[in-house]
Amino acid sequence: MAEGALTWGRRLLMCPPEHFGVLYEINPWMHQEVAVDLDRARAQWDQLVAALTAAGAEVEVMGAQPGLPDLVFTANAGLVNGRRFVPSRFRHPQRQGEVPHFRAWFEAHGYDVVELPEGVSHEGAGDALPFGRAILSGYRFRSDAAAHTALSDLLAVPVRPIELADPRYYHLDLTFCPLDGRRALVAPEAWDTYGRRVVEALVPEPFALQPEETAAFCANSVVVGTNVVMPTCPPRVGRQLEAWGFAVAEVDVGEFQKAGGACRCLTLALDVDLP
Amino acid sequence: MNATERVEVRGHIVDSLILAKVLDIILEAGGDYRIVEFDVGRTSTDPSRAIIEVEAPDAATLDAIVDELAVHGANRAHQHDASTAAAEVDGVLPEGFYSTTNLPTQVRLNGRWVDVENPEMDCALVLRPDGRVRTEPMHRVKAGDPVVVGREGVRAQPLSRPRGANPFEFMASEVSSEKPKDLLVAQVADRLRAAKATGGKVLAVCGPAVVHTGASPHVARLVRNGWVDVLFAGNGFATHDIESHVLGTSLGVALSGQAPAEGGHANHLRVINEVRRAGSIAAAVESGWLTAGTMYECVTHGVPFVLGGSLRDDGPLPDVYTDVVEAADAMRALLPGVTVALMLASTLHAIATGNLLPAGVETYCVDINQAVVTKLADRGSHQALGIVTDVGLFLHTLADHLLPASPDG
Repeated sequence: MAEGALTWGRRLLMCPPEHFGVLYEINPWMHQEVAVDLDRARAQWDQLVAALTAAGAEVEVMGAQPGLPDLVFTANAGLVNGRRFVPSRFRHPQRQGEVPHFRAWFEAHGYDVVELPEGVSHEGAGDALPFGRAILSGYRFRSDAAAHTALSDLLAVPVRPIELADPRYYHLDLTFCPLDGRRALVAPEAWDTYGRRVVEALVPEPFALQPEETAAFCANSVVVGTNVVMPTCPPRVGRQLEAWGFAVAEVDVGEFQKAGGACRCLTLALDVDLP
Repeated sequence: MNATERVEVRGHIVDSLILAKVLDIILEAGGDYRIVEFDVGRTSTDPSRAIIEVEAPDAATLDAIVDELAVHGANRAHQHDASTAAAEVDGVLPEGFYSTTNLPTQVRLNGRWVDVENPEMDCALVLRPDGRVRTEPMHRVKAGDPVVVGREGVRAQPLSRPRGANPFEFMASEVSSEKPKDLLVAQVADRLRAAKATGGKVLAVCGPAVVHTGASPHVARLVRNGWVDVLFAGNGFATHDIESHVLGTSLGVALSGQAPAEGGHANHLRVINEVRRAGSIAAAVESGWLTAGTMYECVTHGVPFVLGGSLRDDGPLPDVYTDVVEAADAMRALLPGVTVALMLASTLHAIATGNLLPAGVETYCVDINQAVVTKLADRGSHQALGIVTDVGLFLHTLADHLLPASPDG
């Protein structure tokens, strides 16, 4: 294992796409007229599970629910630290119905579920990713800056807010992917200037994605030790990852990209335990 | 006079540069600040807390700054319920009343933030017995109505300005005189289609130049085919529209050939006189005297219109509201459900309408004169997007985009 490899990402929560579809439009990628092929979505999801398992991850599966097409995007369930779980408060009413299902799963699995205060939005690991001892948290499109103080209190970790500046990248996990203790895939053009400076100060070895690489959802990847499971891996990105000692597995998640999510969005790390 | 307000920002505000960003936002917006309290966290995991006194040259600038700061997690230092005072006299607001913006606004009552209905600028907020909060123009407030006073417990939400998603983003809030017009028109057509597809209403505000430039038949086509749900105009537009269809002239100038008609200078008076004889535009249609044009299509297709009067009006037409307060109320009554407004070569009615519209209504201001668009934005309709072009060409192209196969163009 590479020195400084991520200490989290080996236990993942996922939800099969039985009721998945683009049934509403709450981000620029979603177009209701674009049909989702459910059989293909199911096959892609199975391939993702297989790739993650092959990479050494353990996948926990929760049940799908009719009427909640985006329940597959478990990254947005909330945030985990140790045995503590903070459920999301979704901005859009279309997704608010997911919360009781996620909460019930975590309660049934022995997590201490603590709530964000009312009146602020935050969309869990979609907008918040650990790096080092802190959590980087995106805000503006889905999560409120006002949620960060409460998150920091509830999880007992420093939270570094990053303002997202491009509505196509409405969640932080489309713009930032921690690789290990020093490295991360980053998409600086998706952040405001302060956010860029914060990431520069925090990440010793960033790899800046080109705009077309960001648009291909490169940052929405799952890192399991030294394995990176990606929706697509342009040669430039692949060369760098290999030079850094990572093995890359590409998984086609095209059906899910129709809803604005890829590999990372379909998983939630259950083993985050920040010091 | 300078206005001040204290905001509080908490969390890991130093390393995350949030404090620096908040201070920069204040300065960039023309304000100034004083850090009143600052507790820096002792370790990297301790949160910090700052109370910042924001100072701005006027209350509107201060409000704008404080609203923007809220997006970055800096909120008013003390949040209390809104205060109210009873209006003592009909049509007169109590001292210190909160003056509204056209932004989505919330009022804090019993610890909860309540959405204000029908946002409109330069009005008051009145609490209803059922717990709702309505935006009311001054003249509609009755003695005893509880009116929100002060800015405590009131927050306006700045419209998010997404960068890149909106096809109009490349011309956002700027007047475009050097953009490919056909592309813009096609995009306006797309926005109208999108509005109609989601059940939104389209409002057209027409100035007399719509008729002078020969575009009235195109507005009529749009009305006839259901692309306009509400029409606002003045005596001038309606008169010229009727004149052009009954007598073939607009202010006495023949629309075909542009030659002044014999005795044409009085044509518009003849038209007004005939409509007054009939009793109303609808009656003139009923009698068979008026058989075409935008006003005719409005009557025959049940599209409601408001004609607001002015001192300069000849006649005026019997449908014209000569009381401006009544005219504005009649316009207000037709606004619910409107999601797109087209301001077509109209200065005064465009600004009057802009004053009544919530900031969320997509507004396209088409005028040959760049100053009209600027004026609209200067009066608070910041959502207005300007297209500087000849309204006649614009409407012709727009109607062709929306009604490509229409045989009756």
